[in-house]
Amino acid sequence: MTLAGGAIGFAGLTAAGFGPGNAFAGSTTANLPEINPDKLSAKTIETEVLVVGSGIAGVFAAVKAHDAGAKVLIVSKGRPGASGLTPFARGIFAYDPSTAKMSIDEYVASVSHSALGTNNPIFTRQMAKHSLERVKELKSWGFFDSNLFAESFEKPISERNIPVIERVMLTQLVKEKGKIAGAAGFSFEDGTVYFLKAKSVVLCTGAGGFKPSGFPVCELTHDGSIMAYRIGAKITGKEWNDGHIGNMDRPASVYDQWKREIERKPTVNKVDIRHDLGVGQNYLAYTKGPQHEKPSRPMAKDAITEGGPYRPSGFEKFAPPPSEGYGKKGDHTPPGMGGIPSGGASAGMSIHKSEGLVPYNEKGASNILGLYAAGDALGSHMSGGIYTQMGSSLVGSAVQGGISGAAAAAYIKGKTIAAISDVQQRQIRKKILAPLNRKRGYSPAWVTQTLQGIMIPNFVLYIKKESIMNAALAYVEELRDHHAPMLRAADLHELRLAHETANMIINAEMKLRSSIMRKESRCSHFRLDYPTMDTKNWNAWINIYKGSDGSMKLEKQPFNSWPA
Amino acid sequence: MTIKKIQGCIGCGTCVQTCPTDVIRQDPETDKAFIKYSADCQMCHLCRLYCPEDAITINAEKSIPVIISWG
Repeated sequence: MTLAGGAIGFAGLTAAGFGPGNAFAGSTTANLPEINPDKLSAKTIETEVLVVGSGIAGVFAAVKAHDAGAKVLIVSKGRPGASGLTPFARGIFAYDPSTAKMSIDEYVASVSHSALGTNNPIFTRQMAKHSLERVKELKSWGFFDSNLFAESFEKPISERNIPVIERVMLTQLVKEKGKIAGAAGFSFEDGTVYFLKAKSVVLCTGAGGFKPSGFPVCELTHDGSIMAYRIGAKITGKEWNDGHIGNMDRPASVYDQWKREIERKPTVNKVDIRHDLGVGQNYLAYTKGPQHEKPSRPMAKDAITEGGPYRPSGFEKFAPPPSEGYGKKGDHTPPGMGGIPSGGASAGMSIHKSEGLVPYNEKGASNILGLYAAGDALGSHMSGGIYTQMGSSLVGSAVQGGISGAAAAAYIKGKTIAAISDVQQRQIRKKILAPLNRKRGYSPAWVTQTLQGIMIPNFVLYIKKESIMNAALAYVEELRDHHAPMLRAADLHELRLAHETANMIINAEMKLRSSIMRKESRCSHFRLDYPTMDTKNWNAWINIYKGSDGSMKLEKQPFNSWPA
Repeated sequence: MTIKKIQGCIGCGTCVQTCPTDVIRQDPETDKAFIKYSADCQMCHLCRLYCPEDAITINAEKSIPVIISWG
């Protein structure tokens, strides 16, 4: 059955999925098969560096890989400039040594102080060091001249004749003899099954969420990191939460929450370190109940709450948003917020740059040879377990994209393209199209909605305790073992939703398992049963990987170290 | 309602290409854009902002789905 109605309106603080339903607003229709999977054509393309995703990280990865001499192909679910979270970001940070009031050493130390040691200072420094160059490059493309980025992103791509394949969802990474050999997926426009053979793959696939309401992340479902996990990559940072709140008035409308940003041209942020987007408001709503009137200064009230998330010295109070580009003077509402706060706007997403593939070096290499990641797909912990520098999210992706693209171009030297056998291609095709071939099965819309009901409630995702997380995990394991294998798609749009839903289920399992493991509270991870910081046991990141028996395993990696 | 109507479409396909969640498709017979998967609209307005003809109208209202036991 296909559900009419879609995403949940009152997600988060009001226990998503169980809100006031309207029998007249929703209706159901049978998802009768519209596609004959046997008739879908296949296409095989060879390239040297395959860049997956076309947000700001993907564009820079492709440009820098090309400029370093590689033959590059971009494959994206969307369109350059209009895919990922990039089209909704307007503040971009640049550390300018000629005007900055602190040295780069002081800057990195200050970020680490706010992030309570959870950031990786190597990536924090890298972001600051390269930010001004990337901003200047963006300026030369015309990025600052429009509130829409398609034209400025098209410029460097077309100047270099870099091919782009749009509206294709990749669902499988292919590994041969321990090295990356390419990827496969399908066009949800015309059904073509793509086999992309490559010497190196750079995942610029962003992060994702549980298709929440009021945050522009419904396209993103951790596709890159989940397909990497399936072939043995390590994943980190899943216990952190982006605590973005929404607006109880029109909670499902991204534009109504973000229009002040979407309508304006980008601007450059100066050094402005925060301790933002944690779960203070969620704690307040949990202990005192949601509020039903618009606060005069929504974030200021969130500052210190007895027993709630700890805020480091110097960051006790929320600072107002920077003056550049924001609403009228005295408006203290950060981007995407305002009105009566509702929770769970970005549910399912960790802090930017702090979830995704575990980096094995400062260039975004993973534990699989030739596989790189950048931006929100790389668990670089550049910012840490909390949002620190205003505008670093956008520039961090630009910087990391450029570095990983160049690294991939260097890696491919002397490498050959691995063969993908016919047998393997047939198996991959079967996996990709499986939801179309099922005669009976669950609709992705219903499974997603059920997952949202399990994961998005404030008392599961944000204000955590072991008993509830174990209960939620039991539900998620049921979806993983019983429902994901029976996801059924009537058409290509639903085929995309089926794969996205399966990815979201794995993301939910990762978030629960790492949140159960981290028995302390720090930054955006808050446990009611372990409310204080434990620096003796928990100065460590959590890495997640698939064990030899196929089950999800977790391990600690001490802060300020590379994986063993 | 999510995207309310598309009126004055010239069939350029920009909105189809731009929609992050694949809500809009082009009708092969009329060559005009139409709203095919409205349940997945996140109301981000990128389609409207990119439309060269200002042909797209979007409503902020979105119904809350009915919860059922299987589907």
